[in-house]
This record gives sequence, structure tokens and C-alpha cells, in this order.
Amino acid sequence: MPKEARLTTPLRREDVADLLVGDVVHLNGTIFTVRDMAHIRIMEYLRDGKRLVEDFDGAAVFHAGPAVRKMEGEWKVTVVGPTTSMRMEPYSETLLGKLGVRAMIGKGGMGEGTREALRKHCGVYLLSPPGCAVVQSEAVSQVLRVNWLDLGVPEAIWVLEVKDFGPLIVAMDPRGDSLFKEVREIARSRISGILKEM
Amino acid sequence: MLETALEVVKMSCTGIAPDAMELLKIAYVCERNDAAKKLLETMIRNAELAAAMDKPVCQSPGYPVVYATLGGDIKLEADIQKVFGKAIRELTKKGYLRPSLVHPITRKNPGDNSGVGVPDVEVELALDADHADFIISFKGCGAELANVQRVLTPLQVGEGGIGIKKLVLESVVDAGGIPCPPVAIGIGIGGQMHYASKLSRKAVSVREWTDNNPNEEVATLERDMLAAVNSLGIGPAGIGGDTTALAVKAEMVSTHTAICPVAVNFHCWTARRGGARIHSDGSVEYLFQRR
Repeated sequence: MPKEARLTTPLRREDVADLLVGDVVHLNGTIFTVRDMAHIRIMEYLRDGKRLVEDFDGAAVFHAGPAVRKMEGEWKVTVVGPTTSMRMEPYSETLLGKLGVRAMIGKGGMGEGTREALRKHCGVYLLSPPGCAVVQSEAVSQVLRVNWLDLGVPEAIWVLEVKDFGPLIVAMDPRGDSLFKEVREIARSRISGILKEM
Repeated sequence: MLETALEVVKMSCTGIAPDAMELLKIAYVCERNDAAKKLLETMIRNAELAAAMDKPVCQSPGYPVVYATLGGDIKLEADIQKVFGKAIRELTKKGYLRPSLVHPITRKNPGDNSGVGVPDVEVELALDADHADFIISFKGCGAELANVQRVLTPLQVGEGGIGIKKLVLESVVDAGGIPCPPVAIGIGIGGQMHYASKLSRKAVSVREWTDNNPNEEVATLERDMLAAVNSLGIGPAGIGGDTTALAVKAEMVSTHTAICPVAVNFHCWTARRGGARIHSDGSVEYLFQRR
């Protein structure tokens, strides 16, 4: 029977350790939007021994780039929703192992490297309903700050305060199970049978 | 013309086309997987909220293509690309479109969705028609990442095009949740590589997802492929379920005796399609209007 969990950031190991694929999570606290260009810059900073702008220990990282507006000097999120997580696959071991990221939120799922990193470092991958930016942004209470805006609005790191952010479906869990892997394997095994019927 | 372009662009990004909504609602009723049903419900609610709140349905506007079919007594007052480019920049400033277009190599973002060759404009002539159509389609780029193009040999095409069907099914499995299923799939067959590619994008961008292909041979292929894709079980967002695709739209043209180019073009569930028909008397009729 799938569980429902309400979690608050920063996330500790024990907050996510019992989560299983299919469980539903709502998040409170702070989330960081990080996508391609910010990941590339994080890797460059680590390589060069530079200090990162944010502490990612126990962080929930959201693969997303919001649509925002600046009103009376303050940033407001118009809408925000997930981008394709697979592009961030090369960085999972670094983010989870080195920076202490505990949850990655996105859409489309991630690969074998991430599955292994989640298992090794006790992390979760949470599916955010794709294309549901209006529903999702209802849970964003404010923009706390933005880093690396020189990368452009979508690629900057937006630090967002969220209340009851969800529903997020646990799609890859700390045991190494992945809904995407399972579904793909079944689908692939069906192809030849379907073709024979056509 | 700018006013019309503004209306069309705004309409396209603040909701989904009514035909896609109709198919989503049918899928919601038919879906048997609980988590998948919950996702479809959230998608429907999101699209309805976007329209009601006048907000973008998705944070990413994807990439814009304008399909212009010039007929009637249309006299173009301005360059189509310039007019739609201006409409896109103005609506970006107003917050309807996130600035998402960048230099392909430096990745520099000018911040207003301006750029070289933006939007892509595809023009066709319809000299017998008494009207001109301008349809804009913003197609998401997670979906774009899953696209596949091959130039098959006659042997690879196989009997009854089995090789084409296999390529489509394998592409759907490889894509998994990446293109934001439930998807619509555009298939371009024939011509040379660029021709198949353009047909695949156009098929899934311009046609209503509920329509029937007037070519019976292609209509059969569309129906068969839709059923085949939905029996894979990929499901909404790729987490399993009955609803993998809402529609399959194919276009087929003749090709050279040595080859068969095939393009498989994925469209996410957010059908951001808007259009205007300009009649010979100058009156404007908006297409794909939400009820």
C-alpha cells in the first residue's frame, strides 16, 4: 500500500530511508532549481576548488526553470514545473555523494548512474507531474533568492520557499528500485508480440 | 496583423487545444492504473486552471513554429517572421512566455525570446482557398529530445512497413517518460530526410488530434500505431498505465527507390496550438478556440 509523507527540508537520511516507489510526498521548506548550465558550473567550481553559492547538504534539487516576473523590485514566480531530468544524469554521483543532495525532483526519470547513487547515498527521485506548472506553482510561497542569473532566467539557481509542494511520486527509491526501469523493461518485452499482431 | 498574432500566441500558451483536452478526458475515464489516473486528473486541472487564471500552461514555452497557408486575396502587410517574432517578444515581456531561446553554442540567452530565425516559419500556398491560415505551435523540448530520424533501406522497411512500425515502437520505449506522456506522435514517411522531418512536425502540430486522415492507407497506419503504442504500458509521465499516446498523426509522400526516410516526432500532452483564419473580406476567425 503506497504511503503519503510530508517532509521538511533539509532532508535527513532517515526522512527518506523508508520511502518506496509509488509513495506520494509533499515537501515543505526550501527547494533549489538547478538545470543544465548550473550543473555544469557547479562541476567547474568543484574542479577549481571554489566555494559554491549554496549549501546543498540535505537539499531538494528541482530540475526546473521557472517563468518569473519582477514586481516592485521583487521576483515572483508566474509558473514553475519540471524539466527533463535525464539531461542531469552525469552529475548524480557528485550531487548526492559529494554535496549531500537528498532528493531530486523532475520528470521523465533518470538512468542507471542515478539509481546507483540513490542507493549508495540514500536518496530519492521524485516525479513532479509533467506540464503541470500552474498547479505546482500554487505551492511556491516566495522567491528567497536567485544565484547565477547571468546564465539566463531558466538556468539560474532559484531558491524557492514551498508549502505543501506536491503531489510528488517516489519514482526511484533508496533501495534502488525505479518505476521507469520496470515500466521500460516490460514495454520492451512486448514489442515483438505487438508487431506479430499487426 | 500584429494584433492577430498577439491573440494567437497568447491563446496557444495559456491552455491546450480543445481536441487535446477532449482526448485527455477520455483517457482519464479509461485509465485503469491509479497513479496514472491521478496524473491525468492533475494535467486536466492544470490546463483548466491555466486558461482560467490566464497563465502559461507549462513553464517552458518550447520552440515556436508558424505554419502559414496562403490563399484567398491575402496581401501580406508585413514579414510573417517579424510579426510573430514581435508578438512573442511582447508576450515574453508580459510574462506569458519564459525567455527560453538561446544561442545554440554559447547558450547565451538574450532574455526576450528573440534570436536568429525565430520563429521558424513554414509557408505553403493554397491558391484555390478563399482564406489564409496562420497556425502557431509551441512544442516542448523534452519531447524534442526523444525524436528519432532514420533513412531506411528497402529491406529495412519490410513487408507492410513493419520496419517503420518497429522503429516507432522502439522510439516510444526508448523515450519512456522523457517526452511528457501522454504524447502525440508525428510520423513523417518518405521524401528525403528533411522532408520526412518537416512532415512529422507538421502532422502533430497543425492537425487536430481528434481528426481523421483523409488518406485511408495512412489513417489505418495511424489507428494501428495508436493502439500498438498504448499497449506498451509506458503510461502518463512514464510510470506505467494505459495512456501512453493520445494521438498518432502520420504524413506520407513518395520517395526515391533506394530509400525510405522516417521521422518520429514526439509532442508532449500540452498541445499549445493557436491559429487565425483570415478571409478574403478581411475578417478574422480564430481556430482551436477553447469553449
